Amino acid sequence: MAERGPKSLWADVPRLLVLGFLALLLLMPYIWMISASVKPLDELFRASLNLWPERFHGIENYAKVFSQIPVFGYLWNGIVVCAGILFFQLLFAVPAAYALAKLRFPGRDLALGLVMLGLLVPPHVPALPLYLAFSKIGLLNTYAALILPFTISVFAIFLFRQFFKALPDELVHAARLDGIGEFEIVWRVILPNAWPAATAFAIFSVVAHWNDLFWPLIVIEGQARATPALGVLYFRSDEAGDDFAALMAAAVIMTLPLVLAFLFAQRRFVEGIATTGLKG
Amino acid sequence: MPEALSAAQPASFQAKSRRLTRGEALVGLMLNLPAGIAYFLMLLLPSLATILLAFTDYELGALEWGWIGIANFEEMLEDRGFAIALRNTVIYVGLVTPLSILLGLGAALLIEAGMRGRALFRAVFFLPVVSLTVAMAAAWQYLLHPTIGPLNAFLRLLGVTSPPFWLSSSDWVLLSLGAIGVWENVGYNMVLFLAGLSAIPRELYQAAEVDGTKTWLDRFRLVTWPMLGPTTLFVLTITMIRSIRVFDTVAVLTQGGPNKASEVLLHTMYKEGFTFLRLGYSAAITLVFLLMVLGLVWLQTKALDKRVHYG
Amino acid sequence: MMPKPLNLRRRSLVGIAFGALAAPALRAQPNVEITVHYAQPHVFRESKEAVAAAFSRHEPGIRINWVTTPNYDEGTQLILRQAVAGTQADLTYQGLNRLRVLAERGICQDLTPFLNRESNPASQGYSETILGLGRTAGMQAGLAYAVSTMITYMNLDVLRDVGVDARTFPTNWDGVLDLAARIARLPNAPDPIYYDIGEWAWSALLYGHGGQYMSGDERRFLMDTPQGLAAMRLYQRILREGRMPNLNTPAAQQAFGAGRIGVRFGSTAFLRNVMQSVGQNFPLATTIMPVIDAERGRLQVGGSAGMLLTRDPVKQEAAWKFLRFSTSAEGTALMVQNTGYVPCNQLAVDDPRWLGEFYRANPLFSAAMRQLPLTVAWYAFPGTNGVRISQTISDNLQRLVEARATPEQVVQDMQREVTRLLPRAS
Repeated sequence: MAERGPKSLWADVPRLLVLGFLALLLLMPYIWMISASVKPLDELFRASLNLWPERFHGIENYAKVFSQIPVFGYLWNGIVVCAGILFFQLLFAVPAAYALAKLRFPGRDLALGLVMLGLLVPPHVPALPLYLAFSKIGLLNTYAALILPFTISVFAIFLFRQFFKALPDELVHAARLDGIGEFEIVWRVILPNAWPAATAFAIFSVVAHWNDLFWPLIVIEGQARATPALGVLYFRSDEAGDDFAALMAAAVIMTLPLVLAFLFAQRRFVEGIATTGLKG
Repeated sequence: MPEALSAAQPASFQAKSRRLTRGEALVGLMLNLPAGIAYFLMLLLPSLATILLAFTDYELGALEWGWIGIANFEEMLEDRGFAIALRNTVIYVGLVTPLSILLGLGAALLIEAGMRGRALFRAVFFLPVVSLTVAMAAAWQYLLHPTIGPLNAFLRLLGVTSPPFWLSSSDWVLLSLGAIGVWENVGYNMVLFLAGLSAIPRELYQAAEVDGTKTWLDRFRLVTWPMLGPTTLFVLTITMIRSIRVFDTVAVLTQGGPNKASEVLLHTMYKEGFTFLRLGYSAAITLVFLLMVLGLVWLQTKALDKRVHYG
Repeated sequence: MMPKPLNLRRRSLVGIAFGALAAPALRAQPNVEITVHYAQPHVFRESKEAVAAAFSRHEPGIRINWVTTPNYDEGTQLILRQAVAGTQADLTYQGLNRLRVLAERGICQDLTPFLNRESNPASQGYSETILGLGRTAGMQAGLAYAVSTMITYMNLDVLRDVGVDARTFPTNWDGVLDLAARIARLPNAPDPIYYDIGEWAWSALLYGHGGQYMSGDERRFLMDTPQGLAAMRLYQRILREGRMPNLNTPAAQQAFGAGRIGVRFGSTAFLRNVMQSVGQNFPLATTIMPVIDAERGRLQVGGSAGMLLTRDPVKQEAAWKFLRFSTSAEGTALMVQNTGYVPCNQLAVDDPRWLGEFYRANPLFSAAMRQLPLTVAWYAFPGTNGVRISQTISDNLQRLVEARATPEQVVQDMQREVTRLLPRAS
């Protein structure tokens, strides 16, 4: 909001307190999760809230996770799949969003309507026919099966279109007057300006697909192409009870890359917004 | 500015405009082509296939199946479970949407209001969005445990003699899931509001100060809130869509129980299709769900679009 | 081939010889790959791999690719999806109440001809009871691999406070409920008892009264019967007199481990998990369920059975060999030592060479095993609504748990709702 120079620490305290309290509430499950991942099972669910274990069991829990599932293989699959999805999403969505925002062409309103419709369709709907199609062409258990269905992200089109609509028309007109062709405009003028939106979208996309359980559960069998979410699921069992401690350790391991990625991207996000010279 | 260009123009420029328009249309279509193909193959066709299933009695692995017209929809009208799921979904959306938007906006405002700790708080508030529900399940089970969990221990300290059974009581389960839903969505909305706030030009605030607005509330009312209009509409739409699609927490924590008290539309759809293996009926539920959500978004756009305007 | 002093070994030699005549590819160091699916990997993986390791000493030419799913539900879906696409695994271990679904869709092979090749299945430990667990849809759809029953878990510290130990624990429900009342009077009393909530757990009460779900001809649902009503009324007493808290199963598991539940009635499948979550918190003991009807009382099992899916003769042979080995005395002995389930091989139980010593050294595991003679198959309802019926029963039981209906009302409603879900009498 209004920038009036850095506040004194004293004046800042109420704000920091409120934020700190809210942050603590939001962090509670994570704090417990990390604490649980280093406890033996019999200390996990005590009636008293002790965050530090009496008998440090962290090594056993994490070792169990590493011995039961190929952790790095799963993490690598997660990286490949999320990067692949993001790449294609940007490749398809950015041009489409620009066209929908700035250009006039027949069928534009229909396309917009389809985009809105696509936002509402939950992933379970196209799942089974896609599964059958993939298995018919022998694509099950591959990176392709994990990546292809998500290459179309209507959310990306929606997000980028909002962003592009806010870009002044003069930018495009100036480029046109310079004699730059339409396609070149997209890649040389529009895309560089889309960077902050792309960073924001990347966060949403990676988070959604790193944690996706439903689709990998259907198309992946065995461990070669399994994703991080499946790694955590390994330790669940309805009939015999979850292996809670290992489950928590697996959860910490599989969530950590995501947290680190966000911390890293967060700064880029801020920088991106700060360097867009076209605001206002 | 575009207005300057629309003054009297020479004929050659008009001709160029016409060519530009044709070229523009072509380019517009071409730019949409890859997305359009992907949309068609990965989204439209499979969804249509599933929707066609709504008019059959197909079951996974069945040896024979056939068309049954609208029989699935008739069954849905009489299905107590579907009616309950519908009601629960509406209540859940009604709980999660306003709360997570308000808290998200509040968090964004607080974070933007000062320089200290921005990166830290941003990261912390966004963390729940990153979480995998299957992993958080045990944490929630424990935190909300009726007899040994810290929340109820705290309530007992405050003098509540028999604190609720958060996840296993029909009366409280939906509220508990709603609270977890708010927890999951606050960070998401906060990030969106932060983006919206950072797009508000500083000059507007300076102008407002010059005009004599003194308090924070006035600044908010006159500058921030109107400028956040489009962002707020976006957040509202996204939050409603996300909350109407609630599934993970129900599937992992309560499986729709106890006695359907936490059954929601998508979970019913999933259960009918993948647990009971009745894919035809499940597709019918999906179709109804889509139509309802469509209607909801259409209503909301009609009602709010007029009110969103820049100052 | 390696010599081994077991009847089993000689039989498989004969089998291989026949196989060699039938399929030349099987001669001299055969190399067959089979895909085997099972559920609950964190529970069964060690045992499955131990079995596979022992198996490869007998049959080095057969390689196994494993596919796992978290639970039985996903396992059935997997096989059904694969069947539609034509890519199903060769061998699958399915939940016992899901055998019917796969059998009726013609996805699995009838194991009767395979069993008939063995001259005397009983002598290898496949008793009538055990074979019966895998029979459905008029065929031997599967061989039971690991079964579970309801057992009693006891917190000995709490019991000691009311003057009871593992040996003097009551053997009928009146005694148990009286014990519960005494526990409730302790200072800082834990919840006295907990009976796992859900259809499968509750069925122990119905079957314990000598009742069953469906009539012999599978036309009538038998909830509205003297046994059904008695079972529901007993459940009501357990809930009220036992002061049972309305917890879901994970919460109850956690509370028991924390020492806040005196006695838990739950599946033996949880045993390893319970042992670990109890750990050093208090001494744990197990025993059989309280007896309701000593003569006609039965117990429904949980657990899984191996089903043969492949039609390829070469793979069929290999998969059958693995299936047979996994359910043999040696195979089941390996399974038991790594999980809390009951072995499905009478030889394994009786012969001291295999498990006799194990049960002596690990008395916690013997509770379920002692109930093996009482077991009946995990029932699968006819028609296509089996899982839904199970859900309907669970939902109605919940009404009793939250005291929103009387036992009589629940029985009536259940009878009506389930009957509607059953196939019409044709």
